Amino acid sequence: MLSAKVVPMDWQSLLLTIRLSAIVAAILFVIALPIAYWITYSRWRWKFLAEAAVGLPIVLPPTVLGFYLLVALGARSPLGHLWQSITGHTLAFTFQGLVIGSIFYSLPFAVQPFAASFASVDCRLIAASATLGASKLRTFREIILPLSKPGLVAGTALSFAHTMGEFGVVLMVGGNIPGVTRTVSIEVYDQVQALNYSAASITALVLLGISFSLLSLVYALNRRVFAAWLWK
Amino acid sequence: MAVEMRDFAPNRAIESSAEAASAVLSLQIRKRFDAADPANAAEPANKDSFELDIAAELSPGITIIFGPSGAGKTTLLECIAGLLRPDRGRIAIGNRVFFDHALKVEVHVHQRRIGYVFQDLALFPHLSVEKNIEYGIRELNPALRVEKTRTILDSFRISSLRERKPSQISGGERQRVALARSLVTDPCLLLLDEPLAALDGPTKSALVEDLRIWNAAHRIPILYVTHSREEVLALGDRVLMLQYGKIIAQGQPQKVI
Repeated sequence: MLSAKVVPMDWQSLLLTIRLSAIVAAILFVIALPIAYWITYSRWRWKFLAEAAVGLPIVLPPTVLGFYLLVALGARSPLGHLWQSITGHTLAFTFQGLVIGSIFYSLPFAVQPFAASFASVDCRLIAASATLGASKLRTFREIILPLSKPGLVAGTALSFAHTMGEFGVVLMVGGNIPGVTRTVSIEVYDQVQALNYSAASITALVLLGISFSLLSLVYALNRRVFAAWLWK
Repeated sequence: MAVEMRDFAPNRAIESSAEAASAVLSLQIRKRFDAADPANAAEPANKDSFELDIAAELSPGITIIFGPSGAGKTTLLECIAGLLRPDRGRIAIGNRVFFDHALKVEVHVHQRRIGYVFQDLALFPHLSVEKNIEYGIRELNPALRVEKTRTILDSFRISSLRERKPSQISGGERQRVALARSLVTDPCLLLLDEPLAALDGPTKSALVEDLRIWNAAHRIPILYVTHSREEVLALGDRVLMLQYGKIIAQGQPQKVI
């Protein structure tokens, strides 16, 4: 039963979650562009294997992905060992580890909208650009990217929102360290475990509001009238 | 790179110009599409396998590529432009070799300097008319770029449209923009894929006149694809008639038609 007592919102976990989501969305924007380009235009016969690998986080239980990432980031793995030798501490249970885990977890939510928007660019425009002397890089920068703006915004918003809502991977890779790895979704879980439903409802409502706003943006961009207004 | 030089027959109009005589387009193209190959969708009229097999020497001036749908007209242009790779053969203009299967030469499409006006025009929808025209001459210094753009906008009577997007102008105006965008690059060869198909009579005549004027000043080979007999008779210095990927007749339009 909900308590009548008003419990203040834990801004620390919300700010940490927004910081994590913003960093992951920014890094994913850079990483997902070349991957999406390759997936769209490569004629490699085994490309479907790469597509399946990128899409794995959509179907894989987050705890399974989190487990593999925990092993990969641990001190016994080459990556974890290298990181420890440079920084003096392991990647697991740190904010940096959380960023790496979240990048893998949200990768398909950036790559797939990017690839879909690249594929929707008329191939005649790409051919016209080439016959006018433009290299593949210039065609990508000046024709494909500008004509894919709605898909780029949608992919970035989705990867941001998806990172905000992640739970299993965060718990496995980051643990539950206040101010370092405790995100909003873990905060809600903790509050429910402590039967503190009032605090949980406020935290959940804030997460719901942000996620709804972001998804509204994504769907608005898929409607031509809003997209035309935005890019006017 | 060793390149075979051919004894090209000089065009009557340019026989005094050594430079222009070197601009003869030499084509030997073989390209096979298998029925099961998705690439065969380019030739929808051919339910079975299809083979393009073309050998021709084309002088500067307008050559009409005439034939029914599925004859291989667009496929021929795409091979010349570098958008499709022939299985065998050689494509060269003067001493510039674009493709030579035997010598393993293949110049990338963006390095060929070939003007191509697509059937659907392919104007960049997010760029203004002026930016569309400037797109192919971006490497020029700004003063020269502005001058060339202004000249071509004036000569195609589209200066008043410079700030507009392609969606904000008429079909005939779009056609002129597409033609101007290809010609401003000073191409060594011009490929036109049914550029006047969607136009009414007067608009078509005005554009044909624009093309004739430009061609009089810049003697380069122009390949003009059409399936309209009217355009063959009105435009061409010569015509190549294609059917099932092969040349079945060629010569002066009046004789061939």
